[in-house]
Amino acid sequence: MTSIRVEDYEPIVGSQTIEELHLLAERIRGTRVKMVNSTAVGGGVAEILNRLVPLLNNLGISTQWEVIKGGEDFFEVTKKIHNALHGEKISFTQRMKEIFLDENRENLRNTHLDQNIIVIHDPQPIVYIEAKNQTAAKWVWRCHIDISSPNEEVWAFLKGYVEQYDTALFSSPRFSKGLSIPQFLFFPSIDPLSDKNRDLEPKFIDQVLEQFHIPKDKPIVTQISRFDRLKDPIGVIQAYRMVKRHIDCRLVLAGGGASDDPEGELVLNEVITEADGDPNIHILLLPPTSSLEINALQRASTIIIQKSIREGFGLTVSEALWKKKPVIGNAVGGIPAQIIPNFTGSLVYSVEGAAYQIRYLLSHPDIAQKLGECGHEYVKEEFLITQTLRRYLLLFHVLYHPQERIIFV
Amino acid sequence: MIMGGNPFYFYTSSNLVELTGEKADNLEELLVLLKRCSGSAIFHHVFQSYRERHFAIGKYHSDFAQWISTSLDEEVLAERLGALDVRDFTTIRSLRESMIEIIESHLRRHPQSGDRRGKTPFFFSQSISVVIPTPHIAWGLEDFYQLMRRIGVQSIHYHLIEARLRLGIHTNDFSYWIRTSLEKERLAKRIEDIDIYLYSLEKIRDLILQYLEEEKNES
Repeated sequence: MTSIRVEDYEPIVGSQTIEELHLLAERIRGTRVKMVNSTAVGGGVAEILNRLVPLLNNLGISTQWEVIKGGEDFFEVTKKIHNALHGEKISFTQRMKEIFLDENRENLRNTHLDQNIIVIHDPQPIVYIEAKNQTAAKWVWRCHIDISSPNEEVWAFLKGYVEQYDTALFSSPRFSKGLSIPQFLFFPSIDPLSDKNRDLEPKFIDQVLEQFHIPKDKPIVTQISRFDRLKDPIGVIQAYRMVKRHIDCRLVLAGGGASDDPEGELVLNEVITEADGDPNIHILLLPPTSSLEINALQRASTIIIQKSIREGFGLTVSEALWKKKPVIGNAVGGIPAQIIPNFTGSLVYSVEGAAYQIRYLLSHPDIAQKLGECGHEYVKEEFLITQTLRRYLLLFHVLYHPQERIIFV
Repeated sequence: MIMGGNPFYFYTSSNLVELTGEKADNLEELLVLLKRCSGSAIFHHVFQSYRERHFAIGKYHSDFAQWISTSLDEEVLAERLGALDVRDFTTIRSLRESMIEIIESHLRRHPQSGDRRGKTPFFFSQSISVVIPTPHIAWGLEDFYQLMRRIGVQSIHYHLIEARLRLGIHTNDFSYWIRTSLEKERLAKRIEDIDIYLYSLEKIRDLILQYLEEEKNES
């Protein structure tokens, strides 16, 4: 982990925001926190924790990050649970439940839970709550995924665990469920200083395009996402083909894999088949260490698209907006929270809608530029890591003042 | 917190948004929830969500008016709700009653609007505020001017907008202190008269600084 400091963000967010973070932290300094999730690299959760944990420590909130361990069978089960929470029909067998519970309990046997606050991210380590009575800690379940229309059997199984927590955190009001515990809105965020988002030299951007054999001869439309059916890469190719009938352009589909996503290779092959050797479609499977390359690809793009069918939050939208790019997003998950239609981007509902918006923005670069600029401001206000830091500090205060609506500290 | 002759203590407040899990799909459902939701939910949707997107001054500050406009396409009702001015209310109760009256009156004239489903639901949220004293204390006009330049917009929102409902009076913390401690009635009134619906919080800061500068130059 890097030794990043809160002050490093002052040139971006201003001294007043930094002062507020210190004021919030001062009164709970010494609090000990544990964060638990399922992967150290790949995916938005790991990226947030990579910065959030050192920043909390920098503010005097002693924070430890633990990654749940598991075999291939465990992550196959958790992937199925993840898809089921997105509404996919699955057969949730007794054997799957056993694998899920056994692996969680095995992890529990090898961990220390002597912190004041324990934050469990997503369903994978949710069973840790079984240890609640052995601790004095406040327990928080942070759900990063869209569970608005879940597979009911899987949700009923998980809900029994969720309601044992002291509170739950969701990325969008759309995701909140009828629960017996308090629920809070926690937008996820991007780090403006990370390799994925920091400013780059134009020369480096050109080098990356050369590295991936992407000529700059025509507009580039890009989707950055894991190769996952829920990201609808096939729909993106279909939209691109509709655009190509009118405007010549290139399509870049680039994404990494995550250690908890065994389906990635299967979907990648489907995408390659659909592209059918089109030399203007660039399919790039990137290793988890490709942050700078992803940054360069986003900056080199004329338009960024995020055509997900289901989405937790879709942080790639905020990443692109931060780079002042016009973004076209499907109106699912947290994407409508980031795209205010015709102000910070374009919201669409179909392949046809995506194709039309690509054509429109390619034909109106002045409007595309304005959308990108407003998007940048909006991300600065809502979706930077400093906002996540602020929300966690507020939450830690709130956990110790239950039932209070105005807390004077 | 603020007494005559005392210095001005700057506070800041941040809010955590609590999801109530309740949503309205049409106007009738909105009305039902509006009648029974917490005062904190009204406060959040009318005053606090504005703070989070203050840089983007749009047509409506109130989430209710915004949703009625963009999701229900009931522009007349949205404009009437949007025209409610925080400066006319000193309690959430009176604000809630006014909103209910406007919606019920609209439904009497347009009963067909009641169960027409919106494009997206309205999700009810409420806020929990954490209020913190800052180290900034103004002992006079010059201090106040210098500190106004550096405090956060959250602090301006707390003292200028939230204060009306907290104090239950038709003023704000800044004007109250300037009037009672500095005895500068004209300056207090000018700050009270700032139209918070037309400007971003940063622009409001600029206006206050401008009035303070003019006051300093005159004294």
